[in-house]
This record gives sequence, C-alpha cells and structure tokens, in this order.
Amino acid sequence: MMNLRMIATKGTLFAGALLLSSTALSGLVDAKSLTVGLTSDAVNLDPQAGEELSSNILFYHIYDPLVRRNADLSFGPGLAESWELTDDTTWVFKLRKGVKFHNGQEFKASDVVFTLDRLKKSLMANLGANISSFNAIDEYTVEIKTPRPYAVLPNDLAAVLILNEKYVKEAGDETADLKPIGTGPYKLVEWVKEDHIALESNKDYYAGPAKLDSVTFRPITNGATRTAALLTGEVDVIQDLNVRDVDRVKADDRYKVLSQPSLLNVVLSIDQREKSPTIDLDKNPMVDHRVREAMVRAIDVGAINKIIMNGLSTHSEQYVPASHTGYLDGASFRDMYPFDVEKATVLMAEAGYADGFTVTLDATNNRYVNDQQIVQALASMLGKIKINLKLNLMPKSNFFGYIRVPSDKSSLIMSGWDVPSGDGGSMYSVMFYTRDKKEGYGQVNRGSYSNPEVDALIDKADATAKLDERDKYLQDVTKILMADIPMIPIHYEQDLYAAKTNVDITPRADKFLWAYDIDVKE
Amino acid sequence: MIKRLLQMMLVLFVVSVIVFLMMSFTGDPVFMVIPIDSTAAEIEQARRLLGLDQSLFSQYWIFLSNLLQGDFGRSYVFRQPAMDLILERLPATMEMVVVAMGIATVIAIPLGVYAGANPNRAASRSIMAASLFGISLPGFWVGMMLIFFFSVRFQFLPSSGRGETIEVLGLRLSIFTADGWSHMILPAVTLALATLAIILRITRAGMMEVMRQDYIKFARAKGASRRHILFAHGLKNALIPVVTIFGLQLGDLIAFATITETIFAWPGTGKLLIDSIYRGDRPVIVVYLMLTAFIFVVINFLVDIVYTLIDPRITVK
Repeated sequence: MMNLRMIATKGTLFAGALLLSSTALSGLVDAKSLTVGLTSDAVNLDPQAGEELSSNILFYHIYDPLVRRNADLSFGPGLAESWELTDDTTWVFKLRKGVKFHNGQEFKASDVVFTLDRLKKSLMANLGANISSFNAIDEYTVEIKTPRPYAVLPNDLAAVLILNEKYVKEAGDETADLKPIGTGPYKLVEWVKEDHIALESNKDYYAGPAKLDSVTFRPITNGATRTAALLTGEVDVIQDLNVRDVDRVKADDRYKVLSQPSLLNVVLSIDQREKSPTIDLDKNPMVDHRVREAMVRAIDVGAINKIIMNGLSTHSEQYVPASHTGYLDGASFRDMYPFDVEKATVLMAEAGYADGFTVTLDATNNRYVNDQQIVQALASMLGKIKINLKLNLMPKSNFFGYIRVPSDKSSLIMSGWDVPSGDGGSMYSVMFYTRDKKEGYGQVNRGSYSNPEVDALIDKADATAKLDERDKYLQDVTKILMADIPMIPIHYEQDLYAAKTNVDITPRADKFLWAYDIDVKE
Repeated sequence: MIKRLLQMMLVLFVVSVIVFLMMSFTGDPVFMVIPIDSTAAEIEQARRLLGLDQSLFSQYWIFLSNLLQGDFGRSYVFRQPAMDLILERLPATMEMVVVAMGIATVIAIPLGVYAGANPNRAASRSIMAASLFGISLPGFWVGMMLIFFFSVRFQFLPSSGRGETIEVLGLRLSIFTADGWSHMILPAVTLALATLAIILRITRAGMMEVMRQDYIKFARAKGASRRHILFAHGLKNALIPVVTIFGLQLGDLIAFATITETIFAWPGTGKLLIDSIYRGDRPVIVVYLMLTAFIFVVINFLVDIVYTLIDPRITVK
C-alpha cells in the first residue's frame, strides 16, 4: 500500500507498478537524498532545551508548530487548522485531525497543553511569555489566553513546537532530547554527535511526504572546509559560505551562490542616562539630541558595506525590516540623517562639544560578521567628529552578561537584534519601553531610554487584539524613535548559501533551512 | 605507588579548583542558554534549573560531593552528563592520535638515527632542514593545504568527517573500514607533522651524543655490524629523552587536537572543549581538564615504566 502511494506520487504508471513485486519496487523508486553542511552540530533536539540556529533547523524537521511560519515570514496553519479570537484575550485553536507522531500516537489537544505546560517551566519559558493560561476544550480544540490583548499570538506560537505527551513522560527529558519524536516531515534515524544527523522522510506527514527521502546534516565548523566539502561533492548545500569563497564557487557552473538579507539588525545603543559610566564628564553628552544626530551622520554605512562587508550587507533603514509590523513605509535613517561629516561637526559644536569627548564602546569579537572590524571603522569615523571611541571587545560568552541591564558598565553597545516572529512590537517593548515600569517590558533597554509617549503607544499596541491597529501604533513608535535616536541601526548581515546547481532551494528569511521545501532535480 | 596516587588526587583537586575559580570570571553561563530578552523571573528560573542560583562555594561543594558518588555533573548546554559527552567523542580522538603518533614514530626514529649517526652528510642536512618546516608550519595551514590538494584539486581523499564507522566492543571506530582510513589520513598526517619533527630532532641529538661515547668505539673495534651498533648500542641509549617527549606529545595530542579536529570536522573531544569554553559550559570544562590531568599522570607513569625497560639501572619508586 505504501509503495503504491509512493509510486503514484512519483507519477509512474499505476498499471506498471502492479506488475512488480513490492521488493523490486523499493529498489525502483529512486530515493532522493540531500546532504547539508551546517556551521555546527545541533546542541539539543528537545525544542525546550535551547535555541541556537543548528538546533532550530533540526526542530522544524522533526516537530511542527501550531502555526507555520513560511519562508517569507508570512504565517499559515500548521498543526492548528484554524484559529479565532473569541474575546480580546482568548484564542481558540482548532487542531488538525488524524495527525500522527512518529511513534504512531495520534496528535491531540492534550499534547498541546502538555507542551505549553512544560515550556513554562523550561529554560525557554520566554517563548511562552505572552500566554497566561491554556486548556483543552475537547480533543481537537485548545483555548489559549493572553495576559492582555495580544494581536500577534499566532506569530509567537510559530516558535512553539509540539511534543508528544506520552513519549516525553515515558522516555524522560534526556532521551526525549537525544531521540526526539514529533509530527514533523522527517524522522530521526541517527545522531552521531559532531559527525552527522540522518533524517528520513515521514511518509505519513499530514501535508504529504517530503520530496527528499533522506536528509543528512553534517557539522563543518571551519568555513574553508565547508566550501571544500561542497567542491568535492561530499555535501550538496552549505550554510554560511565564506565571503572570500564566493567568487571561487560562482566561477564553477556546477554550483550556485544564494544570498538573503538576514533579519539581524546590527545596532548601536546609546546611553541616555544623565551620567554615563564610561564618560568622564559630569553630564552625559549623548543626552543631547544634536550629539546623537552628529553620531549618525558621522557613520558611513556605505563604506562599512563596501570595505568591511564586501558588499554583503544591507543598510538598515529602521529598527525592523519591511516585512515586520511597526515598519513605517518610506522612512529611512539614511534619508533623514545622510552621511555628512561637516554637518556633524557643526552639530557637535552647537551642542558645546566642539572638542569632543571620550567614550567606551562595548562589542563582541566572535558573534557578528566582522564585528571587530566594524567597531574599528566606527572608531575612526566617530574620531572625525572628535568622539574618541575606546573599544572594549570581548567574546560573546562574556558580552551578554556584561552588557546586561542595568548596563551600569556601558555607555555605547554594539549588538544585533532579530525578530523572526515578524512583530516589531516584541522588540520595541523590551528595548525601548521605560525600564522597571512593567514586568516583561524594557528588560533589554540598555541605553535606559525613556519616553512616556513611546510607553503609551506600546501600551496601546499591547491593548488591542487587532493586527492593523497594533501595526498603526507601532508605526507611530517608529516615527518617534527615528526622531529621538535612542539607537543607531547600521546594517543587516547577508546570509550566504552555496549549493549544487541541481538543488532547488530558496533561502528563508529566518535562516531556518527546511528540507521540506527543497527538491533535487535529476 | 601510594605516593603517586595521592599526588594524582592532589593534581585533580587543584585542577578542579582552578577551573571553578577561572570560570567565575568568564561570564554568566545562563546568558548563553536563554533568549536575550528573557525577564528577570525567567532568568531566575533558568538559574535554578541549572543550579547556578547557589553561591560559587556551594556549587563547588555540590560538585565535589556528587563526584564522590561518581556523578561528574551535567552540561548546562547539552543537559547531558558531562562525562558521557566526553567519552562519546573520545574514541574518535584517540584513534586519530594513535595513527598520528604511529606515523610520527615510524618515520622519525629511523631518520633521526640516520641523521645523528651521519651528521655531516647532505641527506642528514636536508632531513634536518625539512624538520624545521614540520616544527614551524602551523597545523591549520598544513591542514588547509592538504585539503586543497588532495580533496579539492585531485579529488582523491574526502575533505572532512569521519566516514564509515563500525562498533567494536561498544566503541565506534573507523580504523577498520577503508572509508574510515580515507577520512583518517589527512587529519592524522596534519597532526603527526609537528610531533614527527620534534621526535626526529630529539633522536638525532641523542644519537650524536651517544655516538661519541667510548662504548661505541669499543663496539666498532670488536667488529659489530653497523646496524647493530646504531640500533642496539646507539638508539637504546639515546631513547630516554625520546620516550619522555613521546609521552608528553601523546598527552598533548589527546587533549588538545582542537585545531586539527575543527579543520577536518573530526568529531572528537578537542572541539567539544573549545565549544564548551565559548559557551561557558563549566561542568564539561572541569571534567575535561580533570580527565586530561589524569591522562597525563597515567602517561607519565607508563613512561617511567618504559624507562626501566630501556635502562635497568632506573627503578620505579
């Protein structure tokens, strides 16, 4: 039965298939396979134990969310067929019937309740921050309540992957992590740590079996080795192609290079406190709007793009990309404050800082593409308007604890921020809302920015269950922020992939490479 | 023996204390495992889950008391027992190191004996010049060049990974498959190069020293064959420093083959160590370095035993 269906999907003549024995059949169906070179091995296969990229990529092969986030950041049904708002804070999700986990268990509302319950107690509790309660109405209906009207709950749920209650309870956390069971398009065959992860197609997948029968992920940390593995044919696709290998790979018509602007906005947050920790002056000069404007105008993002990023970055217009709620059509930092050192010098003089000042910039040296070179360039650019930038570089393992709010050691911080959920509000509420006013707001407001108007608008955005209203309020926030300049957005990194020409792959905006969308041509 | 055992315990204890103290300066591991925009309450919950809510002293106390019950602690990142993570990767590293040390010894000793016995020949001079390259060329460069020529250019050997493995006595090994060997050659050669050069130079120096001794002249005078003089009288007496260096290199390669493993995407322990350092994963680092110290102690003990075999005048206390 299984073989017949596979044959039918392959488009082979049904009559011909009947003549063949089932053993001969399995040999005839040409199994399509793909090997992908990732930058690192997955750390966990339990989606509630961690969240780095390689693990995330694997999660979406093995598990499904209730709401599916598509490659272009649009949202559609996943394990939930449909959902509706019954009142401002209550969402009802109708679940798909007849979906089976890899162990044969049927997917039911109790699995959703179990997943959310476990999530709340896990390291990843943050993913469920906007869920206050949940319960199963019947076997295929789940009710989820938010603490306040929250228009983008479905976006959040796209990051919550559904576990099998029975399996996780019986197997225990450790086994559930090493031998995951989900409803996803692929099943785990074998995970040899740091060597490979082999997956095979889940033939019973609710949306139809994947085009590729097997997928292998290999962690190859060293960029040059990753390119070599592609060129020797050991892998079919590689993630994060080295910038210096782009021309080499392009020159060979057996391969193609794919690029996609990432969602990661590299930003400079500016301390807004009256006295700043690393500035040896009684008053923090950066409180003056003219100084902040001078800083934006002194930074030449074009030069950073050309000289440091080899053209592989997209300058940021705003704090969130065009696909997100809160994006204000037509507004751009680059048009409002174009690169202009003379104007910047004048502004500095007007503010009373013609002789400049000295300030420390905290940044990573192993987290963002060329982060060290970028801050060195910033130092020389800001040096032109006599802002003497001292660089305080550190590895990411130290950085995120160091700059953590209350950020009492930092004046200027370069870091990256991405919002894969597509909702600018989630960034605005944690980064720009006044600190310590409301639980869950302003906890990464590293510059201590505070504007009652912004707070009020975010409150309004978080008080409506209508997406277009939320969008409108957030756009108003964007307008104020762009005038206030609490942070200087610099650029989005470019995600680079290389693949054999016969691999039909389109990069996803969120970097979560998904083999279900990939095909290999003969 | 008992004295050695006590010394070893002391070494392991000191290593664990140092790592604990050092790791308290390298940032808070909780931020490596949770989303950056977590609220204070979520951070507290994560700390509690990882056992980081206790003071450093009580964390160390918990670590010690668990250790005495054979529990080496759990990785913050993997949420698995730290020892399992290391042991799972150890066969891959051991295999590569054993092959590399084999290559190094088989080539270095004969060449070193030759160069030491005939220091003025042109061939000896070229051997010595070549060994300088072995010492000074960085491993990552050699590795990349080998990949470039043998994998990309001639498409002769695979660039990375471990290839086909089979289970032998519960260990996943690749030295018993042809595919495994084809994956093994490049990383093993890369790793062998520096050790080869060092052993070669030490052997040569020892041989030059020994060849001037009276007993060599005497052996010649009594008419012993040249081969017998070189290997039975010469090499045997030049071996003590060679064995010492061999032991140190062996320990070094087992513990810190990080660069070679990263370049060849070899699923070994060195890469685990460096990843754990980046992630601030203290439980893994502590156990790893304690295991390393243990391996060094054991190797040194074995080296001492080998001394007694080479030179009966030496005894192990």
